Amino acid sequence: MKKVLVVDDSLSVTRQLEKIINDSGDFVCVGHAKNGAEAIKMNHTEDPDIICMDMNMPGMDGLTALRSLVMLDKAVQVVMVTSLGGVGDKFTEAIKLGAKNVISKPFETENVLRILRAL
Amino acid sequence: MAVKFFGQFLVEQDAVTGESLLHAIELQERTNLKLGEMAVAMGFITQQDIETAHSAQLSKDMKLGDLLVELGFLSPKQLEEVIAHQKATHLYIGEALVKVGALTPEKLEQYLEAFKADQAPYVANRVELPAWLNENTAAWEMTVDLTYKMITRVLGIQFRPGKFVEASVLSSNHMIAAMDLSGDLSARYLLSVSAGVQKTIAKAILKEDNVDHEDDEILEDTVMEFVNIVCGNVVAKASQMGVTLDINPPITLHPPSDGLAVPDNYRCVVFPIHVGDDEVMEMALFIK
Repeated sequence: MKKVLVVDDSLSVTRQLEKIINDSGDFVCVGHAKNGAEAIKMNHTEDPDIICMDMNMPGMDGLTALRSLVMLDKAVQVVMVTSLGGVGDKFTEAIKLGAKNVISKPFETENVLRILRAL
Repeated sequence: MAVKFFGQFLVEQDAVTGESLLHAIELQERTNLKLGEMAVAMGFITQQDIETAHSAQLSKDMKLGDLLVELGFLSPKQLEEVIAHQKATHLYIGEALVKVGALTPEKLEQYLEAFKADQAPYVANRVELPAWLNENTAAWEMTVDLTYKMITRVLGIQFRPGKFVEASVLSSNHMIAAMDLSGDLSARYLLSVSAGVQKTIAKAILKEDNVDHEDDEILEDTVMEFVNIVCGNVVAKASQMGVTLDINPPITLHPPSDGLAVPDNYRCVVFPIHVGDDEVMEMALFIK
């Protein structure tokens, strides 16, 4: 079963994603971080296969964290989950920095799982 | 379910890879000349003229094309010709993906149809606004209209939009979630909800039938998340309209019983959202 780390400052999004991940049968949520800096620490301690990360967070934002994560850990696969996914420049920047995909909010369960399973 | 641009839709659908999308975007960047570059390529102005206009832009809030005309580097007719040529030669992302071999023309047609259907719910409707809000009117209308659309699609709430009112104080309510918009528009977006509406939002966001056992922190967070979804999609739709916006993370406000005062230098427009006799929901904009 693939391990997933959720990174979002919103409690409600974290809960939604955890439920989708843990109910999938293919993935298990190994924790959640509230910002980019916590994500980098938890990537080290929890060693996830996949990170689902918001872009717009207080403290270290998602794109800054993405840059560090892919530099520090070549194996980890990062998917951005954000309300800003439909902004062309943000989407392109995330893919350029190494994100595997960008999921827009509001998201559907099937869409999230289809994208995670395709990794 | 969200506002998307075509390239993102294709990657999400697994129709193209992120890598081929980047190749196509690079081809677009090489092919699609900016206004100044196009005017130089058409022999109307020199590189030096562009640099002079860019320096003048530091003190004048004008678009480059208008400034080139004002400075006498371009005639109004030449500006029209440059813009027309830009449009006529523009390489769209779908065409670029075909050129880099990531899509066949037939597949492009199929996905364009699917994309139109996916985005059809987000075609903007007209919204009445105060007469003084006469700059970026379409973007303001879209902000209000997208709020209505998200209330229907994400929250599943039946409502009737009321006529806007201008206010110096935003009435008190159970809670307000707010988000600041910056860039081409400068405003604070606010959603004011009664306790019952807050629970309805929480049920929709958490996908739970009952939220009576949830604590205040998570209930408030769901309203902030809804505002985040609305504003993120507003930024995406605005970028399609050529309006650049940015957002900060949402915040929660608990207005005093006499209401939330509108800050100095801001005007407040309230859009009532009628959801039933016992509940109150209002969307407001504090506009600088």
